[in-house]
Amino acid sequence: MRPLVILFLKELHGTFTSPIAYTVATVFLLVLGYTFSLTLFATKVANLNYIFHQVYVLSILLVPVLTMRAFAEERRTDTLELLLTAPVREIWIVLAKFLAALSLMILMFVGSLAYAVVLGLYGDPDWGPIYSGYLAVLVNASLLVSLGLLMSSLTENQVVAAALSLGTFLMLWFADSVAYLLPQPFELFAVNLSLIGHFKPLASGEVFLSDVGYFITLSLLALFLTTRRLMER
Amino acid sequence: MTVRPIKERHCEERSDEAISPPGVMIEGSEAPAILAEGVCKRYGSLTAVEHLDLSVRRGEVFCLFGPNGSGKTTFLRMLTGYISPSRGRITVAGHDVVRDGLAARRKIGYVPETVPLYGHMRVGEFLRFMAQLRGVAATAVAEAVDRVIDLLALGEVVRKPVRVLSRGYRQRTALAQALVHEPEILVLDEPTNGLDPRQIIEMRGLIGSLAGRHTVLMSSHILSEIEKTADRAGLLLDGRLLGVRAIAEVADLESWFLSVT
Repeated sequence: MRPLVILFLKELHGTFTSPIAYTVATVFLLVLGYTFSLTLFATKVANLNYIFHQVYVLSILLVPVLTMRAFAEERRTDTLELLLTAPVREIWIVLAKFLAALSLMILMFVGSLAYAVVLGLYGDPDWGPIYSGYLAVLVNASLLVSLGLLMSSLTENQVVAAALSLGTFLMLWFADSVAYLLPQPFELFAVNLSLIGHFKPLASGEVFLSDVGYFITLSLLALFLTTRRLMER
Repeated sequence: MTVRPIKERHCEERSDEAISPPGVMIEGSEAPAILAEGVCKRYGSLTAVEHLDLSVRRGEVFCLFGPNGSGKTTFLRMLTGYISPSRGRITVAGHDVVRDGLAARRKIGYVPETVPLYGHMRVGEFLRFMAQLRGVAATAVAEAVDRVIDLLALGEVVRKPVRVLSRGYRQRTALAQALVHEPEILVLDEPTNGLDPRQIIEMRGLIGSLAGRHTVLMSSHILSEIEKTADRAGLLLDGRLLGVRAIAEVADLESWFLSVT
């Protein structure tokens, strides 16, 4: 475990000495604050459902920016050679990058807790959907970060990595849109592959193990494939 | 001597049974620090290294030399575990670099040709990170870092970000990270590349001072440097090792190089 901790701290250091993290966090919280104020004044309803959907969209747009450097930059600057010739397992390298990027996402989500506090102080929200909504954005971020890392491991060009990530996220988002064109069992597969199809119930307070399982399974699959990619020598 | 064009040649099939087990003692001598047996590396139809057999003794400075594209970097990358051999076996201090990769990598300090460093880190931070990554005990990290800072005369730049360092200091920092865990084997890919004459002399002196305590395997294509630095040299051409000579026994490397190419 010691190499994981060392690599994680190195990744955190890299994340917080880069302007990308601060830019992404600022954009994220500004847009979220704007949406929260606007919707609250317009609807006067004490829930965060629309905020969670906003987080979903922002995550799809911003995670590629966060993860594009992960392996692409290490490849471009040849520092991946330093890591892979050190006595550490590839899985630690992948997990360290995953945990560092996810930590930044969690910090941004913690910033958004201010909205829940405001609702709690000035309204009487139903806390169940708020808890499940935070679970939804967390597992969604986990999936997007792991997919972003996988895309970054495929290329040494950051822009290509970001484009691949964004394309993959959008295809997952709209996977169920093409379902009606496909024969069985592909129709069912496309419906079940849909990101929004699993996110929406969780964000609305309907917690199904299958939805949480979807995010966790795909996250693990992406991390596994990223590790395999690094092991390809 | 005629050499077939590399792109037309292929690694022939060779079974693992034909290769002795890792850590094998060579009759009449000490177990080598590095032992390569029938090593091949293919990229599709291109053969980068072909049936390379090499034994490097403990404590010596061994230099692989040859023109650009002869397979030096490919071999060093296989040795350090960055890429895997297509065939054959490499052992480092008795550890197979593929099957027992972590143990093998613990024995190696490596400076790649491109001198990759984390530009956003300060020199001290970078060396601490590499010491921890290479398995130096937490209580010994500070001491290990201080030791290489003194050895490589990095005191002046220890608080500077790596990205602002001159080429000479970058090379020294890279060498410091390779030495920070006191490896048995030091692998240097073109260590004098891009250095000015004074820095080359310093680097040569440094490598000389490491001999004995460490086994040094380096690559170079500068013949005069090899003559002044190495105990033995191996000539690589088109991925094949054409011969190994003790520097003391060779009148001059240039004549040898010209005679076999």
